Amino acid sequence: MIQHIFAVTVKEFKVLWHDREALALLFIMPVFFILVMSLSLEGVYGGGSREQPLEILAVNEDQGQAAGKVILDLGKMERLTVVESLESAPVTLRKAQDLIRTKKYRLALHFGDHFSERIQSESHDNTIEAPVISLMVDPAMNLQLVSSLRGTIQGVVERHLIMARLPHIVHQGLSGLGEQGAPEMAQMLNALTPQLEDIFSNADIGSLGNRRVSLQVVPLRSLVNNRQPTSTEQNVPGYTIFGVFFIVLTLASSFIQEKNDGTFQRILTAPLSKAALILGKLLPYYLVNLVQIALMFAVGVAFFDLRLGNIGALFLISLALSASANAMGLLVAAVAKTEAQVNGLAVLLAITLSALGGMMVPVFLMPGFMKTMSLFTPHAWALSGYHDVMIRGLGVSAVLDEAGVLLGFSVLFFLIALWRFRFE
Amino acid sequence: MQDILTVVNLAKRYGSRQAVAALNFRICQGEIFGLLGPNGAGKTTTIGMLTGLVDPSGGQVMIDGLDLRQSPLEAKAKIGFVPQDFAFYPTLSARDNLIFFGRIYGLHGRLLRQRIVDTLQMVELADRAEHTVSTFSHGMKRRLNIAIGLLHHPQILILDEPTIGVDAHMRQTIVENLKTLNKRGLTILYTTHHMQEAQHLCHRVAIMDKGNIIATDTPSALMAASGKGIIRIRLSKPALREQMEPLADLGSLTLFDSTVVHIQLAADTTDNIFGKVAVLAEKADIALTGIDILEPSLESVFLHLTGRSAMIDNASLPDNQQPGVEDDP
Repeated sequence: MIQHIFAVTVKEFKVLWHDREALALLFIMPVFFILVMSLSLEGVYGGGSREQPLEILAVNEDQGQAAGKVILDLGKMERLTVVESLESAPVTLRKAQDLIRTKKYRLALHFGDHFSERIQSESHDNTIEAPVISLMVDPAMNLQLVSSLRGTIQGVVERHLIMARLPHIVHQGLSGLGEQGAPEMAQMLNALTPQLEDIFSNADIGSLGNRRVSLQVVPLRSLVNNRQPTSTEQNVPGYTIFGVFFIVLTLASSFIQEKNDGTFQRILTAPLSKAALILGKLLPYYLVNLVQIALMFAVGVAFFDLRLGNIGALFLISLALSASANAMGLLVAAVAKTEAQVNGLAVLLAITLSALGGMMVPVFLMPGFMKTMSLFTPHAWALSGYHDVMIRGLGVSAVLDEAGVLLGFSVLFFLIALWRFRFE
Repeated sequence: MQDILTVVNLAKRYGSRQAVAALNFRICQGEIFGLLGPNGAGKTTTIGMLTGLVDPSGGQVMIDGLDLRQSPLEAKAKIGFVPQDFAFYPTLSARDNLIFFGRIYGLHGRLLRQRIVDTLQMVELADRAEHTVSTFSHGMKRRLNIAIGLLHHPQILILDEPTIGVDAHMRQTIVENLKTLNKRGLTILYTTHHMQEAQHLCHRVAIMDKGNIIATDTPSALMAASGKGIIRIRLSKPALREQMEPLADLGSLTLFDSTVVHIQLAADTTDNIFGKVAVLAEKADIALTGIDILEPSLESVFLHLTGRSAMIDNASLPDNQQPGVEDDP
């Protein structure tokens, strides 16, 4: 019995050793996952990361000092970098909006000109409006991140609100004591301590400050006018791209099987060019990808009221995305020699490129070198294209760059695949 | 008669290894031509070059007057190819496989449907047309493999070892089917290491060994050249040619590896041949370990030309390709 187990084990080791590339992938894959996932996910928790803090523009139009203090405190947070000036000039509201619209920045805080005055005012004073801070965001921003960031900013602002209003509250309290008259000063001082304690213990923003600062999230250039897109609207494009690239495994496996079965060889003895064979072989997978995309968006529309935006632009990105996924499949078929290698390589690419391309973590949260690397994934460009159309509400001309880059990837993958591909 | 296939100085080199030396032969219309030789003789490489799968290092292949290199698509349309291994789609039905292969040869519509019916009848698979090929027996798959090569009515049918892994009955059926097709005018190039099969089927044969054609003729002419038979003697230790000279009284001598001697018998004198060999061997002071008498056949011709049996390499085939594994349900 033991001899048999030993014999089978040794044989299996030999089989594994025979396909060393597949064996290597088993080790490379988890290492890649750890590296890519850890590095990319680092930015998600806590708004940013120490090495890659979240950059937020600050537009300070406040005529008082309150906004400046809030900005100063936000800047002290290690996961945030507050940008108040660009090229030695303070960031204006228009400049901030432009920078977000062009995707150079994702966030901006706007403090109005009467911010200080308003946070000092009483809630029943109808002549003065309530203080408002606008958090302008790119509508494609991850919702959880916006929510987390909003909480952080709100906390800092409210602390400042208390500090700003504290003298006023104390003054009010002491004025009340003063009305009791000078002769009873000793008793008054005795009474002062517990009364002040009572005043400060009740000093929450709702009752004490009378005025609460409203932090309004303002999505810029959104398809769904002036509201932050839902998580479905944000996530469906990412899931779609993730799914589209699974065609790499199916397609490459099919090519390897035809090689192994000898059907390619037989077909090539027929009056048929190699180009016709490859194109004929790729076309069904290309169509499957397009149907896959249509189905995923249809589910989004049917169940989650997903807005698709400009259909022409959506179609253009989808065509280019499917082309790049198919070309990548052909590339894997050209590079891998066995079924095991195809499986390992396809899964490795599907997961790591998705992570790098921003399917799991927004690219702008990643460390600098990973941001650069994401530019070399078709996933990042496809996601940007879909977000432009479905979230930012842009049209065909706005996604030509993304479509062009995706087609560039397709051509590159295709040429390398043709160079490396062997039919036997 | 018109040449359907002409091969001129065809060669293939892989790095420093010469897989196929300069081959020259031609196949006439209506002929069954056998390319014989043991595994590794260069038959499959040669077939690869004849079908356009392997780029030759030199030489020319003409198919019905068309240069395969200059007009590959037109020339390939005239070839029907039946590879050694099954090359079709096991998850599709027999009919769907034939539809696909018919279409890539330009057949469609009613003509394609009729050809499929005729071809399936010819290979006795008409009743299994709609069945998934993965459910077929080994023999049925072998017949489908041949049917695909015949579907477009090629000028020449090239078969690479089509009887590997089939039992004697099925082998006979395949050979008879090929003879019938040939009688209808189909030219056939047939590769095999089964000398007996080739002897029975082929009008002419070329014997290949180590990338070279070592003999080309009709089976009867080749057998006639081998005399009245061959005595194969194995020696206990290496011997010089001079030591063997006394044996030359029986016929012409060929010495292989210094321990194997072939005597091509000059006359039909197999009576008491063992005694005669023993006496002559004793006279030459040679100890014998074995002696065989081979009747004139292509096998004995090959043996005599190369010193090896063409069938020896058969032992190296995997179990499922050994003769007699037919398992028709």
